[in-house]
Amino acid sequence: MNNTSVSMTESGGGNNDEVELILDPRVQESIGRSLKAHYDDIVNAPVPDKFLVLLAQLEAQETRAASGDMSDERL
Amino acid sequence: MSASDFKDGLIKEIPNLRAFAASLSGSMQLADDLVQDTLLKAWGNSEKFEPGTSLRAWLFTILRNTYYSLYRKRGREVQDSEGTYAERMATHGNQESHLDLADFRKALAKLPEEQREVLIMVGATGLSYEETAEICGVAIGTIKSRVNRARTKLAELLSIGGLDDLGPDRKSAAAIQRVGSEIVGL
Repeated sequence: MNNTSVSMTESGGGNNDEVELILDPRVQESIGRSLKAHYDDIVNAPVPDKFLVLLAQLEAQETRAASGDMSDERL
Repeated sequence: MSASDFKDGLIKEIPNLRAFAASLSGSMQLADDLVQDTLLKAWGNSEKFEPGTSLRAWLFTILRNTYYSLYRKRGREVQDSEGTYAERMATHGNQESHLDLADFRKALAKLPEEQREVLIMVGATGLSYEETAEICGVAIGTIKSRVNRARTKLAELLSIGGLDDLGPDRKSAAAIQRVGSEIVGL
């Protein structure tokens, strides 16, 4: 487009080759709401037990290691 | 920080780690593998965490590095063979919002990774632009420009027509304005 090429030559090879687009604030808000809905949907999902089991194992290992037991198996 | 406090901190962050991992990898199954690796690494490096700083930002850094070094390729294979989690995940909302969410996730999955990750971090996780810039190892200005491009691309992918709350008249207007004509006017 003519506008773009003008701004490119005027800027002397700066960063204007990609003309900045600005979204309507309502569209930005809508995208923001969808982003939160997507993310929070997973955040609010139940956490699989395996993670809590894993962390409990790691902590137990450390407690054992600290109390002088040498059977410190790495997972 | 005691091991028990550190463990409690990790447990609190698991839901956020899962959501970020799913957003990156496009697969809930990969996300959970990724979270498990992240927790193991975090535990093994707990002495490197500075109490008083953001545990979330520290964990996201580990998760992101793990993703880019080990998972990225797998993620693409899974998406190719099974479709993204967008279509498969059970959601908790009603049917209508489920459809919206599924559409949104499909569009999100189409964004370039570098845009998707910053959009999620800035737009959903509660991380600041500064923290996001640090996690990604780039300047704040780069983050801002990636977020802008991500939003524009999403609006394009969703063709705004899906955003019914904007009203029918707004749909075709598409709401994307071009700036730059001002430059020419100078």
